[in-house]
Formats: sequence, C-alpha cells, structure tokens
Amino acid sequence: MSTPARRRLMRDFRKLQEDPPAGVSGAPSENNIMIWNAVIFGPADTPFEDGTFKLMIEFTEEYPNKPPNVRFISKMFHPNVYADGGICLDILQNRWSPTYDVSAILTSIQSLLDEPNPNSPANSQAAQLYQENRREYEKKVAAICEQSWQNL
Amino acid sequence: MSDSQVIMKDETCSTANGKSGSMESTKQDAEVKPFTLKKWNIVAMWSWDVDCDTCAICRVQVMDACLRCQTENKQEECVVVWGECNHSFHNCCMSLWVKQNNRCPLCQQEWMVQRIGK
Repeated sequence: MSTPARRRLMRDFRKLQEDPPAGVSGAPSENNIMIWNAVIFGPADTPFEDGTFKLMIEFTEEYPNKPPNVRFISKMFHPNVYADGGICLDILQNRWSPTYDVSAILTSIQSLLDEPNPNSPANSQAAQLYQENRREYEKKVAAICEQSWQNL
Repeated sequence: MSDSQVIMKDETCSTANGKSGSMESTKQDAEVKPFTLKKWNIVAMWSWDVDCDTCAICRVQVMDACLRCQTENKQEECVVVWGECNHSFHNCCMSLWVKQNNRCPLCQQEWMVQRIGK
C-alpha cells in the first residue's frame, strides 16, 4: 500500500542514489520501506576515521512531519550516543523539520561524530573523557572503530 | 601541354552545358509540379518562464499536487501557500506541519500566511 510517508521515502531513496552524500549510505530493508539500514563512515582526520558504523532508521506513517527513530547498531562510544545506540541530536527531536530527508539525517549524524555536544551527555563516561582526558577518549573510540569492522 | 589544355577546355564546356541543361529541367519541373503540399502539422514545446519551486516537505513541485493529494486522488483541490517569509509549500503539507510547530520549516520564522492559491 502506498501512503504519503512511503512515497516520500521512495523520493528520499532516489535522491540518495542520484546525489549520494560522501561517507554515508543507506537503503530501505528488503521487505519494509519503513525500516532502513544505513552505514556511516567515520570522517577522515577524526578519531572515528576508518570506522564503519551501522545504523537502523525506523519511520512512522507521520514522516516527514515526525522524525524517524535512529540508532546505532554498531557499538558506539560518543558523548551523545546512549548505550542502546540511541542518538541524542536536536534535529532528531525538538529541532526536527519536515524538510529533512534521509540524506540530511545521515550527514548530520556523521558530523555529530567529531562535534559532540558535551552539554547533553547520553554517555557520561564518554562526555567526561572527551572533556578531561582526550587521549583516553580517542583510545576508546579507536577500539570501537576496530570493532565496527568485525560485524559488517 | 597542348593536349591537357584541350581537355580543360572540353571540361569547361561540358560544365557550362550541364548548367544550362539543369536550368531548363527546373523550369519544366515547376510546370509539372510533382509534389504538392496538402497538409502540415506544427509541433511546439512550452514551459513556464518561472522557477518552479519544489515543496520541501513532500518533495513534489508546488505546481503539481502533493503526495497526499496524489494518493487520495484530490489533485484539483491541492493549492499552494506562500508565507510572509516568501517560502512556498503545498497548503496540505503545511497545514499538517503547523499543527505541531507554527514555524516555517525552511527558515524557522514564525509562519504567517501571505497568500493561498495556484
């Protein structure tokens, strides 16, 4: 059944294929366009470089008026990512705009990786290390980057 | 040397003959009229001389019906709304959005309707 949300997602998918943003990719799951699998590559010259992080995006029929639920499937160590992979990002909550699409969501999460917001920590250990012991923080990040290659 | 000159002369001659000959045949053709134009079709293309905006909410051009109206077969009822900020959307798309947040989704200014129409 085709609904406005599903048609919008088809347009998002077409745009993602025609104009793919650097370092991210995503596609609807095989039998449900409301659930997408995505990969974000850790940006170069950041502690996340070479990481390949899998995510799952779940949309509702209210999309694009309501944001999707996005979470990391790969283990993540980041001040704004919860232990269950949930992401604390304003544009996915109170700053959501219906003009965003999958491409915008993925590139925003990609830029969040190296620009964490320590004021709204979802992982207090990561937030603390980021502010107080950058070397230890980067060591932990390097470990999850290495882990990310193991379950591709 | 003299031989080749003779040949050249001949060639010039024959060309001149050929020319005059073809002119005569053109005259004859015009009189016989082997073809007459009975009917022709003109094909022209047109497009709006304006930038057609895409509705940033549903990603369909504002001059076409929005995704919701296309799904519900209400193409005729789908109109465009312009805000005071000069951003335009499908009225259907925008009326759903302002229920939860009365701001322009593009510039975040408070949404004030400037005009509704086609």
